Amino acid sequence: MSEPIARRNLKVEYRLRTTKCLNCGDTYFPPKYFCNNEGRSSKMLEVDHFYEKGKFYSGSVINEPTNRFNHLNTFVSAIISFSGSNINIPGRITDYIPPKDISVKDLIGRKVIPRFRRSYSDGRDGLIHYSSHNFSLEGDYYPYQKYESKKPTDINGKPGIVGYGVYLPKFRIKNDEPALGVIERGVPFADEDTTTFAVESGKRALVHSAISNQEVRKCFVGTESSPYAVKPSMATVIQVLELGEKMDGGFFSGGIDSQFACKAATDLIIDAAGLVAYPVFKGKYVMVIGADNSQAAPGDKLDYTVGAGGVALILGRDDVIATLDHYLPYTSDTPDFYRREGEKYPRHAGRFTGQPAYFKHVTTSMNMLLKQTGFKNSDIDHVAIHSPNAKFPIQVAEEAGFGKKQFDSGLVVKRIGNLYSGSSLAALSSILDIAKPGDRILMTSYGSGSGSESYIFTVTNLIEEKRKRVISVKDQVENPNREYINYHTYRRWKDIS
Amino acid sequence: MKMNPCAAIIGAGRTRFTEHWEEDPKTMIGLAGMKALESVDKGIRRKDIEAGYFGSFLYQVTNKIGLVPGYMSRELGLNVPMINTEAACASGGLALHNACLGIESGRYDAILVAGFEKMSDRQDKIIDDLMFAADPHEFEAGYNFPGLYATMMTRYMYEFGKDDPKCAEALAQISSKNHHHCIKNKYAQFKDKGEISVEDVLNSRMIANPIRILHSSPISDGAVALIMTKPEIAKKYTDTPIYIMSSQEVTDHVSLYTRNKITSVMATRLAVKQALKETGLTIDDIDIAEAHDCFSIEEAFFLEDSGFYGEGEAWKNIHESYESFKGSGHIPYIKNGKELTVNLGGGLKADGHPVGATGIRQPYESFKQLRKEAKENQIDREVNTAMCHNVGGTGGIATVHILARDVQ
Repeated sequence: MSEPIARRNLKVEYRLRTTKCLNCGDTYFPPKYFCNNEGRSSKMLEVDHFYEKGKFYSGSVINEPTNRFNHLNTFVSAIISFSGSNINIPGRITDYIPPKDISVKDLIGRKVIPRFRRSYSDGRDGLIHYSSHNFSLEGDYYPYQKYESKKPTDINGKPGIVGYGVYLPKFRIKNDEPALGVIERGVPFADEDTTTFAVESGKRALVHSAISNQEVRKCFVGTESSPYAVKPSMATVIQVLELGEKMDGGFFSGGIDSQFACKAATDLIIDAAGLVAYPVFKGKYVMVIGADNSQAAPGDKLDYTVGAGGVALILGRDDVIATLDHYLPYTSDTPDFYRREGEKYPRHAGRFTGQPAYFKHVTTSMNMLLKQTGFKNSDIDHVAIHSPNAKFPIQVAEEAGFGKKQFDSGLVVKRIGNLYSGSSLAALSSILDIAKPGDRILMTSYGSGSGSESYIFTVTNLIEEKRKRVISVKDQVENPNREYINYHTYRRWKDIS
Repeated sequence: MKMNPCAAIIGAGRTRFTEHWEEDPKTMIGLAGMKALESVDKGIRRKDIEAGYFGSFLYQVTNKIGLVPGYMSRELGLNVPMINTEAACASGGLALHNACLGIESGRYDAILVAGFEKMSDRQDKIIDDLMFAADPHEFEAGYNFPGLYATMMTRYMYEFGKDDPKCAEALAQISSKNHHHCIKNKYAQFKDKGEISVEDVLNSRMIANPIRILHSSPISDGAVALIMTKPEIAKKYTDTPIYIMSSQEVTDHVSLYTRNKITSVMATRLAVKQALKETGLTIDDIDIAEAHDCFSIEEAFFLEDSGFYGEGEAWKNIHESYESFKGSGHIPYIKNGKELTVNLGGGLKADGHPVGATGIRQPYESFKQLRKEAKENQIDREVNTAMCHNVGGTGGIATVHILARDVQ
């Protein structure tokens, strides 16, 4: 498909956009700019159904798909109705492998929730086409979340985290035996990739923070598995979530995709906090996302620890749930892990990735920040550490004198795997899920190549009020509808995205 | 019946529908056209042909050719007006409709109408290509063509079949019946395949649940041609012209999901209604029909959309008709003792479905049956009126033609 067609399509399909005649109420998909009833006197309003629930009207299991969708094997395509606006649209049911003996009639009437997913790509060197015409079944893995923008009550405070969103895929693979403490890991479905993780986590962060999407004017996506070598995921996030004020199909917001191995996102938290306090920056909020379909060569040691998913933070000064109090980065040129341009999988230097790389940088930034701030170990309630596996962060925490009670809540790596750019953010999020007002959190990230930065956050009273809007990391990890797949499927899906 | 036919068919020719690995589209039309010309009882000269109407869907994609009129000018050695129409699976039916308009306008006395498709040249991508007949958002939702019809079938079974297994059986009986009809049709793609039982259909490979491979028409190559004249001069060429009593085309949304109903095809309903009104007939006056059974559910829709059976009632009657049939000839649908025999040569399912050729193959079959020239496949009762029903996409267009032999 040509690029101009792709652009026109995405403006409709990213947000499930329809138009409604203000005179007679008729709704149109694809959007029309005059009403069949009202003709030239129509007054058409653009409406989107991005945060709405739909209903399965009818469908089919596609067993022998078009070449475009061959990578998905067998799936359900359907007509989805949005009864509120009396409109039907075509869509695909995602995160769902239809059973062989399915009666499609049984799906009629099921509620479905829009998901931003990859549809297909024009070969390995062509465009990747995404859309929100993909739906998960309500009552399956994902709960429905309503997005409402609320006026903040506590404004212009110290910069910090206003909201966060964690997206972990439904599918998992279990290791035959724990690999450096990693028991099981998240696996991207065949239509997921880093960009879809970024969008879904960003969407959840908006729901959690309940801020206006128009007031987010910067978006950073840190990743080392971008679907494109050149073309930012962040622009897709802005287009889908409509960050910034809209004008002529674009948005008054900016950002970049960044790379620094696993700390591509975390080192931008300080920049985000700085921006929201800087008067020239007109926005109130900055979104920082760490997302990865963590890559490892088949059979490599990392192939048993890598996970997949995304975590988004929204930084701002209004209704902050955790203030950003301290920051210290530490960097050296240490070639422990790298991927050359055009290569599919990263290479790593075995034991050299340990002591001279991970441990040295993490320990230095952590210990030095504690020293500079004068905090003792006992002043810290929770520790979130970059987790390439479940062994390294425990070793770091224990050597620094932290107890299990302080670091255990952040050790989600055991059940989700290494999220690369989202790893320390997932640990931080799982702590925020349970933290009490006044708790002090130390987060230390690490990126190969190499660098580490440590942050100290203090939790505010607002955390409990916002907590009811979040899907906790624990709920995702332990979701009864998670599905386990075998190694063959895991490799196939991982390599598609 | 009203006595004002819009055109007359005086000759007809076709190729077999199959995988014609050695033929290209223009030679297939040339062959069908030559047979059609030669079939005219009292003869017609090539130079008497004043215009050519062609129907094809995918020729630009499958064969990388355009400007069909230019190709056909070269093939026929004529410099007369020619036009190619594209309306997906109704390309042939629409070419026929336009040909009728050409004759009715008074502009032409004698014309050639042909439909063709060469699908096997692009087997690896044809499933994607066929989605040009659907809405792009349907394509992007992962749909293929069987999937769209399966979505209609799912809803039909949900609303009307409930949980009665006879509904699924009835839809399988349509395929079984059409294979039975094709066995004596020497041009049919599956004439050598023999009988297909209901169990064969219900156990065949599932391609788009609930549609199985044996509910579906095949990928085919083929061409069909008709020679048509003004009704008033038809007897100059043959003593038994077949008259086209009504030619109707109705359009509807290309997209399934924007239609109010997906358990029927509104374009068919309207086109049949208009055709019957124009001829002063009722559906019960129709003896035989060539229905667009691209998937067996579409034949069930035809039976309801034409008014032969009530809404949601076709499956019960199909089941009853099939189960009560005792003979060895064509299996009719029965309603209060009235018989309507559908798809006498096997329909799209068994005769084959080279997309653009189908809408011309239907009047070809009717022409042969009404003239009692179908040889061993001739229906074993007296028939005088036929309906040809051709659908494009999932119902974005339908053409309906009523044909008759004796019109006084």
